[in-house]
Amino acid sequence: MSSNHSVTEGEARRHKVEGPRKHIVAFILSLALTLIAFATVASGEINTQFTYIILVGMALVQVFVQMAFWMHMKDRGHLFPIIAIISGVVVVFTMVIMALYWVWW
Amino acid sequence: MSAHHHVEGQLPHEPERATMEGRNKILGFWIFLGAETVLFGTLFSAYLALRHNIGDGPAASEIFELSTTFIATMILLFSSLMSVFAVQAMHQHKVKAMIGWLIATVVLGLCFLGLEIFEFNAYVGEGHRMPTSAFSSSFYTLVGFHGAHVAFGVLWITLLILQILKKGLTVVTAPKIYVSAIYWHFIDVVWVFIFTVVYLMGKVG
Repeated sequence: MSSNHSVTEGEARRHKVEGPRKHIVAFILSLALTLIAFATVASGEINTQFTYIILVGMALVQVFVQMAFWMHMKDRGHLFPIIAIISGVVVVFTMVIMALYWVWW
Repeated sequence: MSAHHHVEGQLPHEPERATMEGRNKILGFWIFLGAETVLFGTLFSAYLALRHNIGDGPAASEIFELSTTFIATMILLFSSLMSVFAVQAMHQHKVKAMIGWLIATVVLGLCFLGLEIFEFNAYVGEGHRMPTSAFSSSFYTLVGFHGAHVAFGVLWITLLILQILKKGLTVVTAPKIYVSAIYWHFIDVVWVFIFTVVYLMGKVG
């Protein structure tokens, strides 16, 4: 950018333009977690209970990584987004437990 | 149009947060995503409760193909990455690059939809239709709803690309791009749960 954008450049310096590196790290992490989950099921050598635990663990970590980095939830000023999503998750947990309890017990 | 002609004025580093309207749009969108979480969670709860009620239809482990799910997962993951790059290009005011990344996002989204249609078509051929069983109904509702979100995202981002071409990157259009990227990541996050809970757990039994 040329010199007549001094304000923009000043802004950019203050904000410190974020590079693609951590997003690529998040991508590789997501890729690895996905591969572990699929490989666990494809091999079929681990017992069902333990497979479930691995699958849920991998999914939760991947979702956490993607929300923190790609959806910028780790950045400043994201308190309300976090509150919104947590409120949603609380309702979801209630719904899932309710539905399972209702049908299976 | 030149990639820099919008920068003539003083487009700030994060144009999506430059105005109160932009910040409010992003906040409002997050509240919407909280509601979307509830929507998908409800469909997940129905699926989890009903997934073993297969009636006379095929079971999950009989029809699901791990390879198809894996390809779909990769497509969506790459698509999400393209969308990250689009927002980064926007922060650097590289409009042409941003449009390029957005087009890549949309194309991968269309690939995902094509694969899903192909997949559902194969299931119907194997006698796994919407009215077959409680399992099939809850499966199509959950996965189909996700597919509908992808279809909406593709349409939305396509329209945004056209608007950027017409109006350029400004403090009015930037929040729209940012919000659509957040939406696209959210769709990918939901897919993580779908491939885990529906496909992988379905395959395990």
